[in-house]
Amino acid sequence: MRVKHQAAMALLIATVISGCSSMGVEPWERDVLAKEEMQLVTDPVEAGIDDHIYFSKEASSGGRGFGGGGCGCN
Amino acid sequence: MAKKNSKTISVSLATATCSLLGTSVTTPVQAQEEPGWDFNTALLYYGESDDRVQDVSLNILGRRTYVDDRFLTLGLVLDSLTGATPGGALPFSSPQTFTSPSGLAVYTTPADVFPLDDTFLDTRFALSASWQQPLSRLFTMNAGLTASKEYDYLHLGANFKLARDFNKRNTTVSLGLAFANDELDPEGGAPVPLSAMLDVGDLSNKTGDQSKDIVDVVLGVTNVASRNLLFQLNYSFSNASGYLNDPFKFLSVVDGTSGDPIARIPAPGAVGPLYEYRFENRPDERTKHSVFGQTKYYMDGKVLDLSYRYMTDDWEIDSHTIDARYRWPVGDSSYLEPHLRYYTQNAAEFYRISLVNGAPPVSFASSDYRLGDFDAITVGMKYGWKTRSGNEMSARLEYYMQDGDAPSDQIIGNQASRELYPGLDAIIAQFSYRFGK
Amino acid sequence: MAPHSTSRQGGATYLCTVFLLGLLAAVGSNSADLPLDLTEYRGKVVVVDFWASWCVPCRRSFPWLNQMQEKYGEQGLIIVGVNMDATAAEAQSFLSDFPADFRIVSDPKGDLARKFDVIAMPSSYVIDRNGEIAAKHLGFKVKKQQEYEQIIKETLLSRED
Repeated sequence: MRVKHQAAMALLIATVISGCSSMGVEPWERDVLAKEEMQLVTDPVEAGIDDHIYFSKEASSGGRGFGGGGCGCN
Repeated sequence: MAKKNSKTISVSLATATCSLLGTSVTTPVQAQEEPGWDFNTALLYYGESDDRVQDVSLNILGRRTYVDDRFLTLGLVLDSLTGATPGGALPFSSPQTFTSPSGLAVYTTPADVFPLDDTFLDTRFALSASWQQPLSRLFTMNAGLTASKEYDYLHLGANFKLARDFNKRNTTVSLGLAFANDELDPEGGAPVPLSAMLDVGDLSNKTGDQSKDIVDVVLGVTNVASRNLLFQLNYSFSNASGYLNDPFKFLSVVDGTSGDPIARIPAPGAVGPLYEYRFENRPDERTKHSVFGQTKYYMDGKVLDLSYRYMTDDWEIDSHTIDARYRWPVGDSSYLEPHLRYYTQNAAEFYRISLVNGAPPVSFASSDYRLGDFDAITVGMKYGWKTRSGNEMSARLEYYMQDGDAPSDQIIGNQASRELYPGLDAIIAQFSYRFGK
Repeated sequence: MAPHSTSRQGGATYLCTVFLLGLLAAVGSNSADLPLDLTEYRGKVVVVDFWASWCVPCRRSFPWLNQMQEKYGEQGLIIVGVNMDATAAEAQSFLSDFPADFRIVSDPKGDLARKFDVIAMPSSYVIDRNGEIAAKHLGFKVKKQQEYEQIIKETLLSRED
């Protein structure tokens, strides 16, 4: 059953990637995405604190990824 | 004075640092690219009501930027924990006496309240270091180490992440791996699982130190949908193996009809528990799968951050988390950010509120409320502002509440008239200061 | 002179550059509706640098571009910074911290960037004396400054046909 979950997930991600080729912006249109408040994790310390609190008090943890968004420079 | 409940926090800690695979030390590349240091510091107070857990911590993240998009990030957390936490026994109409985890003393809790163990205080010290750099124009890597130490707990971890951009950097695919080894050496030794709580001085049910290994994998896709909209989708896999018990948690042994605890008489001349308790036991392996989605949407200066996570594991716990934040600029240099989070989970397959005397033995049982059936809500507000020198400060205040139920098929006799799930009420207060360049 | 690029990816880059030449020809001939008319610089070597106020590597590239303009201006180097900000105010704010000693034009709608097929920010195109693209670099890396300068020098040495 787990293998089915994983295969479905991989398929979903592949679909998202291929579907995403029709979305997006030009490299020079990333002014809003470059703003600090538009990053996926705006405050890494706060995110770490929350992760720690909720991990201590609940049975789930993590899930977040990283990378992407931002100014896309260099 | 036993430092037992440090385990409660350290278990969480260790895996929290593992869960750091996904957050914290990975740098949004353009935020500070001038060579130099920048710092992100925070002071946190976490306090539960009714004299339960209180935590004060200092968190510091220092990042050194090197030319051409390379970063060294160093993190430090200092944490001081006090207060009481439920030991796992059910309330009863008489006071209850328990042997402390060290096996050297007893403590007594009043009648008709959830028995709490307040015999602990602990200090934690955690360090992290990570290095990030491009491997080529479209590839970025990040490698890190984590370590944390408490009186009876040591965590060591390593993580590695790789990200590749596609489609003019509109799409980023990332893969992360983390490994950790945690060692627990509780004062008095870890108890033999499902063994009885014994009199003071009787350490015959204690074994030595214990350890566990954790592997985490995260696969993610981040996508720019439009100039104002970004989203991320991740799949995570986590496997923990080894000693997964909480050595300080136990269950009440109750009569199969009345639901009342079974009385016990300490040995002549000894002090000890007046009722029967058994230490908990969890499986020695746990596999979790999570799917996480997040979106950030910019609307004319305001930013909405919405995320959802689904987790399922082989302990039969399923959980859903919805988190929403709305950042609202106030004037030129400050903002307000209300926050709402809703969490729900169902109990682990081996979650038991008590053990029935004389029933067939179980392999696994735990009454740890964190493995139970509950909903939790966080409501908070954050206010942030830029100082005259261009640095950032913020303050947030949140209220976190958990409310759960004992599975109805486990309630026996008189238990129906007692509180069966401890619940939780806490204040989170944090002050942050970010400076540098 | 064979076109080359900093990335030195051989065939693919050659084809890409040939494609860009075609585009550049289009740019040159439709100059009326674009912020930059490269035909006025025929005979000079032009570095067209696409930048924006929110692009942090651009902060490092500006002092270097100023240096190049000063050092090679007499030999016929013209640097043109093409600003991609939506508003002039944003560009001005950047320029007051990182002044430019070279010409700045605005391309807020991205017409010029599209003609050049810009795929990264910042991007620089070195155009030789014949109006052909001699090289391009994607992003700005401090470690590659020598390499970028070398390409400018070589392009300056080539003659107009």
